[in-house]
Amino acid sequence: MKRRTPMVIAATAAIALTLTACGGSDGDTAGSTSGGDGKVTLSLAGWSLASTPEFKTIADAFTAQNPNVTVELKEYDATNYDTQMTADLAAGTAPDIFVQKNLKMFYTYQSGQQLLDVSDVTNALDAATGGKDAYTVDGKSYAVPYRQDSWVLYYNKDLFNKAGVALPDGSWTWDDYANAAKAVTTGLKGAGSKALGTYQHSWQSTVQGFALAQTAGADLASGDFSYLKPYYERVLDLQDAGAQVPLGTVTTNSLTYQAQFGTQQAAMLPMGSWYIATLLQQQANGEAEDFEWGIAPAPQLDASTAGTSATPVTFADPTGLGINPGIDKGKVDAAKKFLAFAAGEGGAQALAKIGITPALLSDAVTDTYFGLEGIPTDDLSKFAWQTHDTRPENPVLPTTAILQNILNDFHTAVLSGSVSVDDGLAEAAARAKSEASF
Amino acid sequence: MAATLTPPTPRIEEPPVADRRRSPLAPVGRVLGYAVMIIASAAILLPFAWMIISSLKSNNQVFTIPIQWIPDPFVWQNYLDIWQKSDMSTWLKNTLILSVTVTFLQVLTGSFAAYGFSRIRFPGRDVLFLVYIGTIAVPWQAYMIPQFIMLSKMGLSNTLWAIIALQAFGAFGVFLMKQYFESVPEELSEAARIDGLSEYGIWRRIMMPLCVPAIASLSLITFVNTWNDYLGPLIYLRDRDLWTIQIGLKTFISQYNAEHALIMTGSVLSVLPIAVIFLLGQRYFVEGIASTGVKG
Amino acid sequence: MSTLVVDDDRRAGEPPAPLRRRRSLSLTLRSTLVGWSFILPNFIGFAVLTLVPVVILFYMSMTSWNVFGAANWVGLDNFERLLQDRSFHKALTNTLYYAVVHIPLTLGASLGLALLLNRKLKGVAFFRTVAFFPYITSVVAIAVVWNMLLSPDTGPVNQILGWFGIDGPGWTTSSTWAMPAIILVSVWREMGYYMLLFLAGLQTVPTQLYEAARLDGASAWQRFTNVTLPCLRPTTFFVTVMLTIASFKVLDLVLVMTNGGPGQSTLVLSQYIFNKGFVENQFGYASSVAVVLFLICIAVTIFQFLVNKRRES
Repeated sequence: MKRRTPMVIAATAAIALTLTACGGSDGDTAGSTSGGDGKVTLSLAGWSLASTPEFKTIADAFTAQNPNVTVELKEYDATNYDTQMTADLAAGTAPDIFVQKNLKMFYTYQSGQQLLDVSDVTNALDAATGGKDAYTVDGKSYAVPYRQDSWVLYYNKDLFNKAGVALPDGSWTWDDYANAAKAVTTGLKGAGSKALGTYQHSWQSTVQGFALAQTAGADLASGDFSYLKPYYERVLDLQDAGAQVPLGTVTTNSLTYQAQFGTQQAAMLPMGSWYIATLLQQQANGEAEDFEWGIAPAPQLDASTAGTSATPVTFADPTGLGINPGIDKGKVDAAKKFLAFAAGEGGAQALAKIGITPALLSDAVTDTYFGLEGIPTDDLSKFAWQTHDTRPENPVLPTTAILQNILNDFHTAVLSGSVSVDDGLAEAAARAKSEASF
Repeated sequence: MAATLTPPTPRIEEPPVADRRRSPLAPVGRVLGYAVMIIASAAILLPFAWMIISSLKSNNQVFTIPIQWIPDPFVWQNYLDIWQKSDMSTWLKNTLILSVTVTFLQVLTGSFAAYGFSRIRFPGRDVLFLVYIGTIAVPWQAYMIPQFIMLSKMGLSNTLWAIIALQAFGAFGVFLMKQYFESVPEELSEAARIDGLSEYGIWRRIMMPLCVPAIASLSLITFVNTWNDYLGPLIYLRDRDLWTIQIGLKTFISQYNAEHALIMTGSVLSVLPIAVIFLLGQRYFVEGIASTGVKG
Repeated sequence: MSTLVVDDDRRAGEPPAPLRRRRSLSLTLRSTLVGWSFILPNFIGFAVLTLVPVVILFYMSMTSWNVFGAANWVGLDNFERLLQDRSFHKALTNTLYYAVVHIPLTLGASLGLALLLNRKLKGVAFFRTVAFFPYITSVVAIAVVWNMLLSPDTGPVNQILGWFGIDGPGWTTSSTWAMPAIILVSVWREMGYYMLLFLAGLQTVPTQLYEAARLDGASAWQRFTNVTLPCLRPTTFFVTVMLTIASFKVLDLVLVMTNGGPGQSTLVLSQYIFNKGFVENQFGYASSVAVVLFLICIAVTIFQFLVNKRRES
């Protein structure tokens, strides 16, 4: 043993050094190579392929236009996508093109030099493409957005009518929303229904995303989170008034927003536009009940951005595609072509057909989308889907992930009633100072 | 414990007081014992019952306030769907291959090494053993990236070999078997040495047969841990045809939606094989070393 | 086997005194070789797959490694930062709280179960399987059911407490009661697992000793303390060490039950390591937390080794 110890240490040190030296810039990308006959095979990361058709849809649409390029899908886990991708990039086994699921991890990949500069693709995109600025660092772009969801307000027309409350008209502030939630709850109780005015899911985004996007001067990086205060006080008030299920019940009963809204337990639901496709599908297969619904713009902080003549402010991170720098040099052009297609009109049309909100919302794309079976076709729903100023939920900063962790702790502590809003804010600010300043 | 099984004759020697004390209380105690165990079983099986109930519901009925204990309607379709919608048979096959191989290797190499640690004295032995235990104390998430990079360079990532390599040489089996070997009286080995058995022969002929209960518990635990392992396969296995059950079940979760009913259906199906194996395996917990006739 | 009765006075195979010294060197060499030959098959796999990455981890704990870039040597900076890091202190305190309460409770419950189920009763196989069930049932299902049972307003646990006039706490929704709730569920979940290890250990207790003790008029409690416990010592030691390490490394149940909340009230060290590494991408810093966790575990383990050695002699 004694004689072996130094050897073990030496061997380990050698391996450690190799690891640090070649970190992630190692270029043997799995499998695919470009053949001499002009045929190219690209590998693309996706998650839960069986239940998430978007990757295959884009790949097929692209191959239909470019028969000499085959796109192979590499499957990842939906919830652990970034953990798996981090491991694959570190070991040099990641695919040629990989998805930026949200902006929280984009900084990590970009600053870790795991993304190729794709400024030429981004510059050639339609000016109306949402979310492309989010991927720009120091004037260079490192990914292109292909889908851009935004948070809107879903409402159940049947329950509103039953409660005798006027439907959302697009002019709501959060106070209007809170009053409506209480009025609907009371009205439904009078009509013998147990359904509540609104449902807010357990995620911190449901409160903080709006607060950050809508409050003038709100800055995540400043470490001053006082802009959250009115938003949390409103939610606490709604919980106390019984107009929405409290966070404790949401977590202890593992409630899902799909069931709460889909089986008419709640008349309103602030949620991202991704839920439209799910709701359509669940109403078609019977998992969700059959009722009339619509979407309205997210309620605003004040009247200045409310109403259909203004542009409502809301939030959501874009979903983008980036290129692994370890890609075979001969395939870069094909990969860029794929990115341009996915973020362009062709990709947008293909995505709209399966109910996904693309980053490019042209009139033609909107027509395709609202041609889906079962979708509400009133003007307010179309307005809410197409018109908005969507700010990123996670500004691209080195400290974003840390700050979001701190704010998530704040979220659960305040909404469970463990601390007051003021104490929670003070604690969050103190933690931000000590943990996010290095 | 053995009292109820002892034939009547030897009892004559026992003091009559003890006899009187035991017999009238025995049936009452046994009924009480059964009652307690049945109630406890019901309480323990509650989550499993919930899994079965949920597997017979539609997706949006799985989580409700208050909980709905009787599905309405019963969705037997879930059990059909899971075979059609998923590669359940492939997942079961892979999980079984992994569990059996890992269990075999762990028991074999673990008990072999344990003999070295418990029965043979050599310098550095205790330090080496502490190194073994020490690695158990390091959380796997902390070193899984360096390990993943290493195994990828060896070409093992995205193969079932990665999981086998990961699980089969753990310190757990070595430690468990070592402790059990130490319960075996040294006299047995000494006698065997006189009879001309080598150390390897003692391990095979004396230790292993005596330690069936320990082997049984190590096998069961290793099997269950490999069967239920999630993070290992998650990091190492990408191809669909390599997936294990735990990874496969997660495919019913997409980014914004989860098919809870199918997840529960799959969980029920994945628990049943282990339950059967446990039911069969637990009968090896009968006197091992205790019945060797060594007089202390 | 029953013929292998050996007289204690005659130590077989041992050479007389004068010969012993000359042969001792070659004997040591021989036993070293034999010892290593037993250990080697396991050790090769262990060293390559576990030991090397762990040593790399120790190296990384002194760097600013972020997985992709180079690992810059920072010496003990990470550890100095840990001293100031209040979230780390919170995670450390929570983990200690969990371990200190969880270890004795689980030890007692699993030993009790093992004694109860180490009988020749009809249906014992069924009950053993049931006791092991929580360990094999999916941890997600466990979390869902227990969260529901413990739900402050709608859960049956608080309703039952209400019958006795007790106003039940908020359990997983309260920063005071979330940790006790997790401990409760984890004892319930793991008792069958450690019961299995105790059951194997109980098979080493010679029945003759019980018979002898009974003839001496020992009560059930005396038989337990004077026969069962001493014979069970190697198993108890094993279970205690494994349980201690597992408690300090607790992760999955916390993740699915409370995800560390409300606030940071159930944040544990393993989760902190995962957050710092995979969420915040500070792998060097995360490694240093892992090293601290390792040092705590190893200190407790060595302490347990020493206590065990003293009791043995």
